[in-house]
Amino acid sequence: MTDTLTYPDVVSLAVPFFIAAILIEFFWIRLSGRGGRYETRDALTSLIMGAGNVASGIALGFVAWGFFMVLWEITPFDLGSSWWVVLLCFVLDDLRYYWVHRFGHRIRWVWASHVNHHSSQHYNLTTALRQTWTYTFTFMMVVRAPLILMGFHPALVLFCGGLNLIYQFWIHTEAIGRMPRWFEAIMNTPSHHRAHHGRNPRYLDCNYAGVFIIWDKMFGTFVPEQDDEKVDYGLVHNLGTFNPLRVAFHEWVGIFRDVTQRGLTLRERLMYAVAPPGWSHDGSRDGSDRIKAKHLEHFPEKRGTPGFR
Amino acid sequence: MPLTILIPLVVLGIAGIAILLHLSGLTAPRRFDGVADANAAWLREFPEMPPIETHIDRDNRVAFVRTEQGDGLVWCMGADTVARPLADFDLMDIDGGLEVRFHDFSAPHAVLHLSDLDLPYWKHLLERS
Repeated sequence: MTDTLTYPDVVSLAVPFFIAAILIEFFWIRLSGRGGRYETRDALTSLIMGAGNVASGIALGFVAWGFFMVLWEITPFDLGSSWWVVLLCFVLDDLRYYWVHRFGHRIRWVWASHVNHHSSQHYNLTTALRQTWTYTFTFMMVVRAPLILMGFHPALVLFCGGLNLIYQFWIHTEAIGRMPRWFEAIMNTPSHHRAHHGRNPRYLDCNYAGVFIIWDKMFGTFVPEQDDEKVDYGLVHNLGTFNPLRVAFHEWVGIFRDVTQRGLTLRERLMYAVAPPGWSHDGSRDGSDRIKAKHLEHFPEKRGTPGFR
Repeated sequence: MPLTILIPLVVLGIAGIAILLHLSGLTAPRRFDGVADANAAWLREFPEMPPIETHIDRDNRVAFVRTEQGDGLVWCMGADTVARPLADFDLMDIDGGLEVRFHDFSAPHAVLHLSDLDLPYWKHLLERS
């Protein structure tokens, strides 16, 4: 069994590319007068969140790595590292990403980690780097367990995850309209991912794909960006702070406050942690389903259109 | 990549981009362009709570909104806006106006710049919320 397989840390290696691409996008917007917008404190917060994500990976990465290596010791399978294994691992890890991302929007415990990525009201390449500091605490590393038990080496799985993250960087832009039709049909693109970042009722909880948009089409969560409905970026209730610590931890604080309210049953406390965001024991808050339903009450003509089934 | 290269790269990259944006005039705060603009910003977050009365502070950066379901505050943050109902907050006197301190970790406070003449009226508006 291979224990010493190593791959480059592609995310760290991509940092110079990230910086160069942000500068290119920024100058493109300045020169052309279109293709998005930047604001200093918003961009600075996003970049600090990105740096914090790398730091938390260095500090806490051993937890996931240790878990994966235990699984690697257990599994009798070893698929090796030939090119087709790398390719297969990349595709299956992207399927893994789809489900983790979907859980990230539908389970508040996981949303608490992922929410910060959606907390900017801007959509530019710095938004791509607005990443979580608390992913380890979601325990979503367990979703990678089947890959390792199938015989994909942990180093290979993490390598594919890094490539996946790098792919997703360039789709966080308004500077690119639509890609060729065949590409839009198969791959995640700026257009598809803009819809994912929308706070419009139509765009809530759609387009979870990382690299291949086919997963959303397979599992019924695909909503194409509509030419007649511009995406409004951010959260249903936007953050009133640029403080990275508040950005990183605000939903965890919200969970803590909700779970420790007086007079709740044990089930209600649990639901505040694991039910979809917006759940409340007394029905005083709206989740995405109710937001969509209320929107349709005002705009019944939208019923049956993408995002409103 | 060794940390001795990665850390300076990240620090210089972040600082360089922030300085570039600031020098390009992209730190300028947004201001409300009248009551209709403030109302639109409020409705963007609370579409079920249409404003029936709106007041904007001296800097055009914070607006008090009265609705049938309760009062709220909408304010400018960077190039965008944020809104919160006035349900759980403290009101503090500060130099040149008032500070609304929300008991909300995701939106800790909003600062209203007010003239001495306007101050009592705004205090009355907020205290009865």
